[in-house]
Amino acid sequence: MSFLLRCPNCGVRELTDFGFGGETSSRPSARPQSRELASYNYFRRNVAGRQREWWVHRSGCQAWFLAERDTRTNEVIWTALPADAPPVRSAGSQEGHR
Amino acid sequence: MRRLPPQPDELIDRTRPLTFTFDGASVSAFEGDTIASALLAAGQHVLSRSFKYHRPRGEICGCGQCANSLVQVGDAPGVRACGHAVQSGMPVVHQNAWPSLRFDAMSVTDRIGGLLTPVGFYYKTFIRPRRLWPLYEQALRKAAGLGRLPRSRAERQWRTEYRRRHCDVLVIGGGIAGLSAALAAAERGADVVLCDEGPQLGGSLLWEGGAARVRQLAARAEQAGVELLSGASALGYFDGLVAIWQGDVLHQVRARTHIAATGAIEQPFVFPENDLPGVMLASGARRLAELYALAPGERAVVACISDSGLNSALALKAKGIQIAAVADLRTDALRRPAAIALASAGVEVLPGAAVVRAAGKGHLEEVMLAAVTPDGRAREAAQRIECDLLATSAGMMPSGSLLLQAGGQARYEPALHRFMPTVLPDGVHAAGSICGYEDVDAAELSGQIAGLQASAGSASAGTGTGTESLELRALRERLESHSAEPLTPAPAYTRDGRRGGKAFVDLDEDVTVKDMALAVKEGYDVIELAKRYTTVTMGPSQGRFSAQGSARLLGELTAVPLEEVGLTTARPPWVSVPLGVLAGRPFEPAKRSALHAEHRRLGASIRWAGDWRRAYDYGDPDGEALAVHTRAGLIDVSTLGKLIVRGPEAGELLDRLYPNVISTLQPGRIRYGVLLSDSGRITDDGTVCRLDEETFYVTTTSTGATAVEQWFSWWLADWRLQAHITDVTQGVAAMNLAGPNARMVLAKIADFDVGPESFRYLDARQGQVAGIECLLLRIGFVGELGYEIHCPGPNAGQLWAALLQAGADLGVRPFGLEPQRILRLQKQHILVGQDTDSESTPYSASMQWVVKLDKSHDFIGRWALEDAAQREPQSMLVGFTVPSGEVPTEGAVVLAEPGGAVVGQVTSARRSAQLEQSIGMAWVPPGAAFDGARITISDGQRTLEALITTKPFYDPDGAALRS
Amino acid sequence: MRFLTAGAGARSPLAAPLREAGATLQTLDGWQVATHFGDPALERRICGESVGWADVSHRRKHEIQGDPAHLEGARPERGLWFRLTPERALLLDAMTPPEATGVHAIDITIQLAALSLAGPLARDLLARFCALDLRPETSPPGTLMPGSVARTPGYVLCETRDRYLVLFGAAYGEYIWTVVSDAGAHLGGRPVGLDALRAGELPVSA
Repeated sequence: MSFLLRCPNCGVRELTDFGFGGETSSRPSARPQSRELASYNYFRRNVAGRQREWWVHRSGCQAWFLAERDTRTNEVIWTALPADAPPVRSAGSQEGHR
Repeated sequence: MRRLPPQPDELIDRTRPLTFTFDGASVSAFEGDTIASALLAAGQHVLSRSFKYHRPRGEICGCGQCANSLVQVGDAPGVRACGHAVQSGMPVVHQNAWPSLRFDAMSVTDRIGGLLTPVGFYYKTFIRPRRLWPLYEQALRKAAGLGRLPRSRAERQWRTEYRRRHCDVLVIGGGIAGLSAALAAAERGADVVLCDEGPQLGGSLLWEGGAARVRQLAARAEQAGVELLSGASALGYFDGLVAIWQGDVLHQVRARTHIAATGAIEQPFVFPENDLPGVMLASGARRLAELYALAPGERAVVACISDSGLNSALALKAKGIQIAAVADLRTDALRRPAAIALASAGVEVLPGAAVVRAAGKGHLEEVMLAAVTPDGRAREAAQRIECDLLATSAGMMPSGSLLLQAGGQARYEPALHRFMPTVLPDGVHAAGSICGYEDVDAAELSGQIAGLQASAGSASAGTGTGTESLELRALRERLESHSAEPLTPAPAYTRDGRRGGKAFVDLDEDVTVKDMALAVKEGYDVIELAKRYTTVTMGPSQGRFSAQGSARLLGELTAVPLEEVGLTTARPPWVSVPLGVLAGRPFEPAKRSALHAEHRRLGASIRWAGDWRRAYDYGDPDGEALAVHTRAGLIDVSTLGKLIVRGPEAGELLDRLYPNVISTLQPGRIRYGVLLSDSGRITDDGTVCRLDEETFYVTTTSTGATAVEQWFSWWLADWRLQAHITDVTQGVAAMNLAGPNARMVLAKIADFDVGPESFRYLDARQGQVAGIECLLLRIGFVGELGYEIHCPGPNAGQLWAALLQAGADLGVRPFGLEPQRILRLQKQHILVGQDTDSESTPYSASMQWVVKLDKSHDFIGRWALEDAAQREPQSMLVGFTVPSGEVPTEGAVVLAEPGGAVVGQVTSARRSAQLEQSIGMAWVPPGAAFDGARITISDGQRTLEALITTKPFYDPDGAALRS
Repeated sequence: MRFLTAGAGARSPLAAPLREAGATLQTLDGWQVATHFGDPALERRICGESVGWADVSHRRKHEIQGDPAHLEGARPERGLWFRLTPERALLLDAMTPPEATGVHAIDITIQLAALSLAGPLARDLLARFCALDLRPETSPPGTLMPGSVARTPGYVLCETRDRYLVLFGAAYGEYIWTVVSDAGAHLGGRPVGLDALRAGELPVSA
């Protein structure tokens, strides 16, 4: 893998400049039930397709940002700082960035 | 092969003769020769022995595309003899033959090969009995494989330069299409790089009578600013990054758009004994004649399916080579102008005919020609023709592996009888014979079109889209007026029906028609499976001469049309490349503390610790540890992670990240803390010190610094609190002065009161020590009175020297990482990652005191810990002593009873000189986690009895620490 | 947080390799800096013909942090200012940090070692160990590019067409010096002192 990624602060860089933070998930806002906690801690959607995920520009500005990437092709649809990211579309979800 | 009289486009310089050696014997050559052309001129027709059967193999393509020409040059195996320029004195030796190329003992596998080496033979034969595999492996390794790697480091010295290049357009292939594409793009202002694997730019026109035309084009391209790289193979396409190997440089090119002008590869026929030296591609024969002035044979037969073969026959004839016959598969071949020209020159052209067998002892002596059915069977008794050269031309296969790697697709076009690129990914264009434009003018036009398309919208090129689209349209119309030349597709396999003789589908891997048939019979009947089972197309030439042929054969064997069989994708690298070229310069990113020079001067043994080079000890770890107990020691702890967390909500951020309360910390005070994941597992530990209302100084473990910084800033990015994190790990040095005399040493050179009442345990002070601005933390990782002194890295050397000097009469001694590990183990201070793993919670690690579930805050890991607090952990981290004094290996297992089940593991173990005891830490079942419990440690051959100690081994109440 | 600012007698993170390369040291702003390596005239010529590399770790660096709305207001008149993120900026060559409400400055001079690459082959030298696109079209003078330098986090500033400033973690000083020397010597370059840089068109420090 050596695709390019656009850091919202620094611009386009080699993949090796970045650290991967995995798919976004939602940290429960209050004490969850055991099942919900286990699901948050241990389960990932792992979609084959477009997913929203975290990246950090560890060799550059050190900032964390969000990206939407197609996990099958590594096509990166967009990258953005959390404040500028498009809202999550999935219906009924209160999903935050995590 | 004899040399021809001087040829107009020859690359050799006859005024500059030189000599080199082949298998120790001297060989004459000219400058400009390749190793292969020089060897052929010297009469050496066998260049190698084949991979499996050790059959003699000669020149085929003349341009380094096949495995036949692999030789060893000096210490480099796998060098392509026909692509590598010869140099004076160069030591060349053959590969894969023992004792010599002429007599290879392993060629016995050829004669009895039918019995011994059918496809799948290794898989089926050497699997049983398993215990004999090491023995089998030894023998097989010797019999198979190509070349020998030098063993010693000194023999492996070479240097590769790595060069990054960004550009607008990268053109791969420097034939007429590539050159015209590059020129068109550069003339429109694009920044263009072009690479070609040949020693000279120009592609096939160099030996097809168009040398002047392509040279002129190359000169224009250079003038237009194109960076031209010749002798440069594009190894692969990696998500837009193309690695280009040019001798001692590896270019790593990032282009906005790519143009594949990689050409097409002439294909061989498959027939019995098709691997005899003397059987060549027509293009290979022409190349030898035109570029190296070699007569590829004296009496030639040409077998072809299109005009390009007829043209080759004419060209060879013009060099004075006798053409005994031409077999053209097309039944209407005699109507072609080139056939008429051949006939009028007295050359017999056999329409509808193909070569159905070759024969000769060690070299081609005769071929059998016959009219064949569409599936390649001779319709008639074959005609025997004596010859020493068979020039074959069985159609073209696009050289499309880079396109396929880039995500393009290729499909067999039945109407054109060839594979064609169909889908091109965004930003990738193709031009020239890869797209079927064999005609020179058509290839040039397609290049111009690709150049225009690729340069459109490039950073440096102007836009001007309106005029360019008109220009493009005009070029396209002109291109459409060119039509492909007629051809009759070659059968997968032509034969005379007689028994005997191997027909090779893949010469690299010695895969025969019979092997493919066997694979299909055994169920490997789709190309991707057959490829892996037979290894067809997997040799050094990566299917250049076998991908199309094997696909065609599989189609015939399984009655599937070729367009459905498809092609396999050739993986990078496109040419064999020494691993050393890919390895990078031999430098490892290493962090060094500002005190590194002092450690060297003191003779420390320096070792890796994470990505740091650290002073492990100064030659006497036990003595160094004892000095800390009796007088004082000084250790460099600059590797500790150090973060400044600052802002109005810094305390809030830390309260959410740590399981204890940080925001109540008074300025000038320190608190220990562990970091947890949301599943309650310990990920790091360290101290937090409040410098002022809005500023905290956080230390982390040495290996955890980067991860903790990222962890903090990740949550900060999500929570968006008013706080900032600055990693000062690398700039701030730190040293720990510890031992009963530490205070006296410090008192001598500090500019503030270090007395026990004014500078208490867990106090932090900023002040000058030896005139240097410092932050001092009174903490005690090693268990004695200690001061962790943080100062600017550039002044660390001065401070280190001042502390040693001030402490000289108080017995201060530098100590390294190893004595520190002994000291901390005596205190049962954990090392995260050594004593804990991804399952460890503060409860199981016996550190419940760091968790404040009564704090009102939510914090990372809280919910999981609330659950964990209700349950007994499965395993507990405790200390142990071994009464016998033996020290178990770290990682040794804890058993339920001698010979019983494994119930735990030793994480740390040392001998403590201070305690005169063997001590350690281990995970044990909760039932055994009490003082005085006995456990059994199984350590390889040893069984050790140990006693549990849950309190620190040394100074359990911390009196020394707080003194 | 005075312990973040180097005091008198400061030694560069590159001190060990500088000494090994035969540097002559002088004191500048409290730092021991390499003024030359024995042949100032040759070093000047190298910077004009191929490439020289000089330790400039003493150059002042501040990180300015604050609310995105306030940050630009803290930009001082002197010094080179680069916005890294909405909340952070890098300020080069300012002796004293700016003071403004809602922002604070941290002296990060000692965190980042610095090499100045000077000469017509400076960009070629960088291309040996850095994947950043430094072509003049994309990175004209004045452009700061945060990104990987020899596989470590860093920054590359194009100061002029022939001069680049490379910033990298102080602990990597010896490693980066090895990488730069290895690649630079192969290009015909050599280490140079501040004297050779001063002969150029740019002041070394604002």
